[in-house]
Amino acid sequence: MTALALSATVASGLAECVRARPLLGTLVEIAASGDTADTVQTAISNAFDAVERVHQLMSYQAADSDISRINRGGFERPVTVARHTWHVLQAAARFSEASDGLFDITIAPTLTKLGFLPRHSDFPRISGQGNWRHVLLLPDNQVRLARRLRIDVSGIAKGYAVDLAIAALQEAGMYSGRVNAGGDLRVFGETAQIIHVRHPGSPTQMLPVVELRQGAAATSAGYYTQRRYQGRMVTPLINPHTRVAAEVQRSVTILADDCMTADALTKVVHADPHSAVGKLSQFGARALMLEADTASGGCRVFDTSSLYPAAWRTRVIT
Amino acid sequence: MSNFDRWLMVPALIIPAAASAPAFAVQYMNVEQAQKVLFPAADGFEAKTVVLSAEQKRAIEASSGVRVRVNEVKAWHATQGGKALGWFLLDEVYGKHEFITYAVGIGADGAVKGVEILDYRETHGSEVNNAKWRAQFTGKKAGDTLQLDEDIKNISGATLSCKHITDGVKRLLATCATVLK
Repeated sequence: MTALALSATVASGLAECVRARPLLGTLVEIAASGDTADTVQTAISNAFDAVERVHQLMSYQAADSDISRINRGGFERPVTVARHTWHVLQAAARFSEASDGLFDITIAPTLTKLGFLPRHSDFPRISGQGNWRHVLLLPDNQVRLARRLRIDVSGIAKGYAVDLAIAALQEAGMYSGRVNAGGDLRVFGETAQIIHVRHPGSPTQMLPVVELRQGAAATSAGYYTQRRYQGRMVTPLINPHTRVAAEVQRSVTILADDCMTADALTKVVHADPHSAVGKLSQFGARALMLEADTASGGCRVFDTSSLYPAAWRTRVIT
Repeated sequence: MSNFDRWLMVPALIIPAAASAPAFAVQYMNVEQAQKVLFPAADGFEAKTVVLSAEQKRAIEASSGVRVRVNEVKAWHATQGGKALGWFLLDEVYGKHEFITYAVGIGADGAVKGVEILDYRETHGSEVNNAKWRAQFTGKKAGDTLQLDEDIKNISGATLSCKHITDGVKRLLATCATVLK
């Protein structure tokens, strides 16, 4: 067998390596380059540990995660969670506030109804009222639900996991690195990398859209996650105000400094592209929206960079 | 398009042409490398391939809830100075269109130590059924630049259903408990 990626030492004496593991319900790929093959391996293992920690703490599926413990007992009494979970919930509240609720972690019951999240028989019934404002963050990492709600942080935790993994690579002294968790990716290092996005109308084709040297890109689209519900195709991208799922044939890519921001903002843009435009600048983010152009077989790209040309170290490839 | 007049204004048109990558195939590791990653302390790996009897198959299916499609279990017993560390199991599951090769390390306590993807060959579209297209992979060695490999590194929006791998791990845990002692 050939060793294509692992421990392939390049001419400069740098060791490079790329590994993949199934985590967060997707394939997480981590690549890094450093001084020796051993330090690179250790750094990547540490990065995977960070992703695994987020997976264990914030999975909606796992019965013993912080999120499941909140969903089970958060209305009755405050639940103490890990620092990471607390941090993600705090960020979620910030994104909800800034987007007038277009980002909302309390859409979990809608996702369950549409079949995107499992039913847990031991979770209490929900009241059908309330939103992100009723997730109370109390001192000492305690969380309480002011209404009978169910929360799901999968719209943001994947990005957070990518950020933690990147931090682990940097702490280990890597020269460059890349973490890609099924659409949420972040890179650092000397050379710019070309980011591809799938053609929303024919997802087997990749389009090179942007060159990225430092920072994150997150893409959300329905093409691989859509499913049939009552005769209609639905995606897990829900508008929290209307509880209606976004269209299938549009893909949204957000570029931002960190992956959690990029991840969260894809949901905001999907929910309401019009009002989202004005909200990106406060996060220093840029959005690319791809729509299939049936006449030409190509896609139309909508780009917010002309509104905020500021500090982007990226260019759009056309 | 007038719907998006507040959105921005460079509606560029990208036509997928030569630049678009048709497929997705990566080899992450070979067996020896995966063994080293999953059992870094081990100094010996004894290959022990097991052929499952019909009865064992039924027992594994019953306890894991996953169908056993292949009778052969590719296992290695990992040891350090003669002391048992656990089992290294090599397996394949279906991705979307093609097999994903992966390895699971199971410690002496019966718990998963890690899962590593060895080969990921997600291939799409008609190009892949073309023998000529497939032939471009043959003979590639370490250090060779695969044009495709260059193009698939940074796909934002690529999602893989990990259900099959999850089921595979469940099946291997049951296999380990049933036939590897």
